[in-house]
Amino acid sequence: MTALLQLTLLGLKLNFRNRMAILYGYLFPLIFLVGFWAVYRSDPVPLALHLGQFLTVTILGSACFGLPTTIVSERERGVWRRYCLLPAPGWVFLASVLLSRAVLLVTAALLQLALAFAFGMPAPAHPLDLAVAFSAASFAFLGFGLVIAMLVDNVPAVQALGQCIFLPMLMIGGVAVQLESLPAWAQHLSLFFPGRYAVEALQLSTTGMGLSRAGFDFATLVLTGVASAIAAGAMFRWDKAFAPRRAWLLLAIGMWVAIGFVVETRGLASVSAVKDTRQVGSARDYAPAPPTAKVAPASWHDVTQADIDGIDFKRLPPDEGIVSPFSRGDEVPDPVILPVLDRIRDGLPGWSPGNVSDPVQRARNLLAVAAVPDILQMEQVERFVPRLVFARLQAVIPPRDLPKILYWIAMHPDEGDDRAMHQLGAFGFPDVTGPTKPVRGRVMLYAFKLLGRLAGPLPNN
Amino acid sequence: MTKALTVAGLSRRYGAIQAADGISFEIAAGEVFGLLGPNGAGKTTTIECVLGLVRPDAGSVQVCGIDALAQPQDARAKTGAVLQATGLPDKITPREALDVFGAFYPVPLKTDALLDRFGLREKQDAAYDTLSGGQKQRLALALAFVGDPQLLVLDEPATGLDIQMRRELHGHIREIRATGCAVLLATHDMDEAAQLCDRIAVIADGRIVATGTTAELIAGSGGSLEEVILKLTGAAR
Repeated sequence: MTALLQLTLLGLKLNFRNRMAILYGYLFPLIFLVGFWAVYRSDPVPLALHLGQFLTVTILGSACFGLPTTIVSERERGVWRRYCLLPAPGWVFLASVLLSRAVLLVTAALLQLALAFAFGMPAPAHPLDLAVAFSAASFAFLGFGLVIAMLVDNVPAVQALGQCIFLPMLMIGGVAVQLESLPAWAQHLSLFFPGRYAVEALQLSTTGMGLSRAGFDFATLVLTGVASAIAAGAMFRWDKAFAPRRAWLLLAIGMWVAIGFVVETRGLASVSAVKDTRQVGSARDYAPAPPTAKVAPASWHDVTQADIDGIDFKRLPPDEGIVSPFSRGDEVPDPVILPVLDRIRDGLPGWSPGNVSDPVQRARNLLAVAAVPDILQMEQVERFVPRLVFARLQAVIPPRDLPKILYWIAMHPDEGDDRAMHQLGAFGFPDVTGPTKPVRGRVMLYAFKLLGRLAGPLPNN
Repeated sequence: MTKALTVAGLSRRYGAIQAADGISFEIAAGEVFGLLGPNGAGKTTTIECVLGLVRPDAGSVQVCGIDALAQPQDARAKTGAVLQATGLPDKITPREALDVFGAFYPVPLKTDALLDRFGLREKQDAAYDTLSGGQKQRLALALAFVGDPQLLVLDEPATGLDIQMRRELHGHIREIRATGCAVLLATHDMDEAAQLCDRIAVIADGRIVATGTTAELIAGSGGSLEEVILKLTGAAR
């Protein structure tokens, strides 16, 4: 154990003495992060919706290039042949390389997260789940990195084979390019690349419902990791003079294929339509100014039925879309998210921002509970929270006042205090950072949608 | 008394080439045993089988009574080796290498003592890729000694060394023989073999064609050692 520890520490030291290793290990992940930030700069919340992607890129880079390059270059120079003369089995040396690589990977990821926070990314909703998902993804891909290391004889071959894995995974595997942006054929193909499952597991731990919703993704990562580790162990060689047992490669690749086949044939993953990127717009997009020179209400007390009748509810985003989704009345939530919905329902009465004395601010705060999961695209949950908020609004605001207040909020989305959106930890939501305007936009949309249900134009079944 | 190394009926084939063909010999404690033969004769294959780098097709290897094929880790704990075509990470220092390699042995020799013994004190914190060829070879020897071995295996250790370094190396080999450690030395340098070895096995085409002291080998043919070896290895072809 002492030898393993010393060898691992030495591996870390040697890495930090190698400028190129530092460049590849730390600078490239940060460059990728800045790239994601730049490409998705119009996101309502900086980087949070892409954390799964950029962390997977980091893991893949380490697995496809960093790990195998270290092993293969040392083996080429006879270092492993020298290790073989020591009184220890091969797994000790592999374990030390993996351990030091894991430390480098974790520190690179922490550095990425620190920069992402500096850019305004909110803290992940489930940090422990994120750590577990990161470990599973690292296990899966570093395992395959070992397979690459055992398969090839020299560093240029590592680069070539690494690119063959890395680039397709990034471009059509759902890692760098989001699945919704890919054509249907590529989305089907991505089922055979484990990068997709890594992104999903990491993302669900960040802005979703945690690993409880990513059991399948987690299992696929563990399975691919186990298959790769077994294959790499069987292909292990101290010296490039000995040919690897290439047939074992079929086990590692076969697991990818088997998982993709099961997912495809059992319909475990859906092919998404092209993402709805509709802009939220302003209040006037939904309530055009009347042709006559009617005076706008001076306060919510002055709102009239005529004002409400002037709203064109048909212009609102569809309830089934990505922007401001709203579940049907007869829609049954997935049992997995029921505890989350129960937590919100039970927590709303005691949530202090939802009980402030000013009824308009109270309603604004409660609408933020629906708006934030929508901004964070918290799958499924975002569709059901508006109904819980609707019920709570009806309980704490008199029926006579609620339509007027909703109208007022919808027409004045930039007014009022928005600190409530940072107090949603009680419901298990991550904090929302960055400009608050996007959240205010969703508050406006939900105010319109709830008003439409109260006033009649929108179905409330 | 248990022999430091016992090799019996060792055979290894690479495709159509029979690299080792029924090699057998023994080395006693404190004995320097030479494997002498031309390039490609089977010296390195024999050594690789002894060290467990290559699994033989047939035969057995015992290090200090331990079956090296069944218990390779135990056998390696008693063995030190300097092989051709081995290296170390570019940025490792001699001190770090000795510390880490020593951690694998139950009772390693002190790093400072080895640095002094092999003249590496001044370069103890220098990166491996900045060391001269001679310094690298000294470090390789120091690493072979770090586990306080009972068997030292050297495969062409003087290759590429200048005369001074070669003398230094020979001094180290004599020193270790004096401590009771057995040495298996593979070389094609007949002077080196004649100077250092208590006994020599002449190897050609994967077989041992003669074994004995230098005097015995010369006495058998009536020429110099060089002539004897040429005659023996030529005859094997």
